[in-house]
Amino acid sequence: MSDISHTVTAYDDELRFLSDRIAEMGGHAERMVDRAVTALIKGDHGLSRTIIADDAILDRWEREVVDKAILVIAKRQPMAKDLREIVGTMRIASDLERIGDLGKNIAKRTVAVSEVKQPLRLYRGVEALAELALLQLKEVLDIFANRKVEDITVLRDRDEDIDAKYTSLFRELLTYMMEDPRNISACTHLLFCAKNIERIGDHVTNIAETIHYMVTGLELKGERPKDDQHNAVVVAAK
Amino acid sequence: MNDMSTAEIAATTAPAKITARNVQVYYGATHAIKNVSVDILDKAVTAFIGPSGCGKSTFLRCINRMNDTISVCRVEGKIEIEGEDIYDRRVDPVQLRAKVGMVFQKPNPFPKSIYDNVAYGPKIHGLTRNKAELDEVVETSLKKAALWNEVKDRLASPGTGLSGGQQQRLCIARAIATHPEVLLMDEPCSALDPIATAQVEELIDELRSQFSVVIVTHSMQQAARVSQRTAMFHLGELVEIDATETIFTNPSHKKTQDYITGRYG
Amino acid sequence: MSDIIATGAAVPARPKNSILVEDKLMKKRNAAEARFKAYGIAAIAISLATLAIMLWTIFSDGVSAFRQATLTFPVTLDAAKLDPQGARNPADLVKVTTVGYGTLLTTAFRAHLQEKGVSTEGLDDKAVGDMISKAAPAQLRDSVLANPSLIGTTKDISVYATGRIDGFLKGRVTMQTAERDANVSPEQLQLADRLREAGILKLQFNSGFLTNTDASDQRPEASGLGVAIIGSLYMMALVALMVLPVGVAASIYLEEFAPKNRFTDLIEVNISNLAAVPSIVFGILGLAIFINFAGLPQSSSLVGALVITLMTLPTIIIATRAALRAVPPSIRDAALGVGASKMQTVFHHVLPLAAPGILTGTILGLASALGETAPLLLIGMVAFVANYPAGPLEGGVMDPATALPVQVYSWAARSDPAFIERSSGAIIVLLFFLVVMNAIAILLRRRFERRW
Repeated sequence: MSDISHTVTAYDDELRFLSDRIAEMGGHAERMVDRAVTALIKGDHGLSRTIIADDAILDRWEREVVDKAILVIAKRQPMAKDLREIVGTMRIASDLERIGDLGKNIAKRTVAVSEVKQPLRLYRGVEALAELALLQLKEVLDIFANRKVEDITVLRDRDEDIDAKYTSLFRELLTYMMEDPRNISACTHLLFCAKNIERIGDHVTNIAETIHYMVTGLELKGERPKDDQHNAVVVAAK
Repeated sequence: MNDMSTAEIAATTAPAKITARNVQVYYGATHAIKNVSVDILDKAVTAFIGPSGCGKSTFLRCINRMNDTISVCRVEGKIEIEGEDIYDRRVDPVQLRAKVGMVFQKPNPFPKSIYDNVAYGPKIHGLTRNKAELDEVVETSLKKAALWNEVKDRLASPGTGLSGGQQQRLCIARAIATHPEVLLMDEPCSALDPIATAQVEELIDELRSQFSVVIVTHSMQQAARVSQRTAMFHLGELVEIDATETIFTNPSHKKTQDYITGRYG
Repeated sequence: MSDIIATGAAVPARPKNSILVEDKLMKKRNAAEARFKAYGIAAIAISLATLAIMLWTIFSDGVSAFRQATLTFPVTLDAAKLDPQGARNPADLVKVTTVGYGTLLTTAFRAHLQEKGVSTEGLDDKAVGDMISKAAPAQLRDSVLANPSLIGTTKDISVYATGRIDGFLKGRVTMQTAERDANVSPEQLQLADRLREAGILKLQFNSGFLTNTDASDQRPEASGLGVAIIGSLYMMALVALMVLPVGVAASIYLEEFAPKNRFTDLIEVNISNLAAVPSIVFGILGLAIFINFAGLPQSSSLVGALVITLMTLPTIIIATRAALRAVPPSIRDAALGVGASKMQTVFHHVLPLAAPGILTGTILGLASALGETAPLLLIGMVAFVANYPAGPLEGGVMDPATALPVQVYSWAARSDPAFIERSSGAIIVLLFFLVVMNAIAILLRRRFERRW
């Protein structure tokens, strides 16, 4: 936000509502993902059900943000920074809602994964991946709050780590499935969970880019790092 | 010509129709325009925006030397139209104004017939040789101003009897009847309802294929809709001039940002 | 914004009252308003009453000036006396003076009285003859000279009775006043009564009041406004011809073209001041410049018109400038914006719009000039003018003339009470002209304004 307030104070209130709601949505999504991973690792079915139910709140908030944003556009005819802010808010809300969906998806897989006890090693991989993604999410929400766009490049570059980690986890899970075909069902679910977490990282990057555009009006310079090479991973059968 | 996209026009490096350099305007002791340098492109709409009293109208009126009618007003610097300084000693402002037409804030048709309103300019400048040619000019001007169909059956009735929007379009027809090269519009829609405004805006969009149009407006949305380039004035200074798209999505100056987003003052 | 709300807490809130009940303050405010309206109505009523009284006085005094006591009797225009040569030669006819005609009249009058059996007892022949106005012989002589074929015929003629008899018929002269009056005796009044019964003496509409020239103190009955009306008309025409072009041109220049500097400021201040200069000063100016310096004839309508032009010019300039200034600047902008020159802007657009205002101002200026007396007194227009000025094309503007207000003034100054009614009558004529001019002003304004 600019240091000068709008002549129409209600306009400021509306914009504040939008950014507050994004912060809330972010917190909620972050919590959902965190707990979904916990539920997955612990095989906590009760927790996973709560998370699945929680997703509805995120959906409702997203709709609310979009409705409110459209109303502000219609009423105030926002220009420049305000317009970018509002459009960005809508995009971030949509990204956060997707993150929530991905969290919910992880929670849903808890049942299937916990049917057969998997080696802790595999869970550790997913957990570490999730930690990285959650850290990214937390940071992007901080950036959204304090508008420190200079941190965005660092954040975006860190997405590489997630991608790299995912690629190695992919390879590991593949190997594991080849060792024992009975693992395939659980490992496939874990693979999807890992993929979901990797996707969360992508959404975080999206949000970071949106924030950059919102604040500066410019696209974030440079190519988006892509270290996700799992599409090239081939594990030869023994 | 009309299908040239806004971005293309804004980005064009074609020589400017009007170049103003270090223009200063004084009203007595008041320094109304401070060192404004600006290029206005041909066949494009340039919008002047800024808070009231920022000098945008004053600067507009410098371009056809309407400020000459104010005795305390003094203009320094250089304004060139295609390389000719309009403040040169040899320039007669009356001749200049035939080249640089103007449309005013309040529709101000002459209290004469619709026909006479449009025919007046061509008559005094001797642009037509006989009545048939004059009729022709009146008709084409009214057509260009998108007013012909509404008034063709009552050309002899007074221009002041038209609706506000029609009056303003009549004034535009009157201005373009003298075949100007530049058309200056000083808040042409501020006294009109939204439908009349839309008609005038549509007209401006069509006119830009033939003229260099400069429009002063208080409506950001209007500037965003009709212009290809936008200049922001503040306290007599030119804050910035850029492609309209840039000004309204990502202006480089904080003053512009604050003004267009409604944070001024 | 928020501090306004915060400080508002200190002010006691407005009490919650029904709007159906008028509170104390409202009553006070309404009363004040009613009082103000009453003052206004009173002021208007007083001015209307004053106007009514003024008009009533003027009309009650003046209407009688349009009726005049006349004696009607047959006169035989004896050829032997009037044209002894019998050749009807104008050169010979002129030789018979008014005295000759006077005898003819009195003789015929006395003869007619005897014939009608009207007793003239107690009056000698001279006293009977004095009933006839001293202007009558001249009147008769003029008509005979104009139409020599009348000589030798017997004709019923109407001649003015003297002013005292006229006054008697109008109630101004009574038996009591006649006893102390050297010009009339009670016996003559009694004769007048008998003459009236016999139908010889009666009050008739007097067109001569509008056409006759001025007459001497002894013959109020014969005096008329002819010269004054012509003089006023000449003057108004000349003033309009001079003041309109000069005034309008000066206003246009000052308003539209003149640069704003100290010199033009000075001119403006002076014009405003000139409008306030007493009119008699203009009379002195006219006397010095037009008569003494330029040598124009005294008491001519040309000099009068020049003086009044000078006097009206500032008023016209002020009115015209106001009318020009009232033209919306947007019209000027429109014309200049389309490339009209300054002159085209003014003459094509500004002037037509200002025309009704200019014309109204001019006509009202002329109307006030029509009523102007003081400067005309100084240039000699108060002089007794017994002859009509020549027609406008024969240089009539150089001939001595007088003007309506001056005639009012000079009649009001005369001692004979008969002139009181005549000066009131002259005021009625003057008022009539003013009303006509104002009506023209209104008509012109309507006409021009209706154009769009």
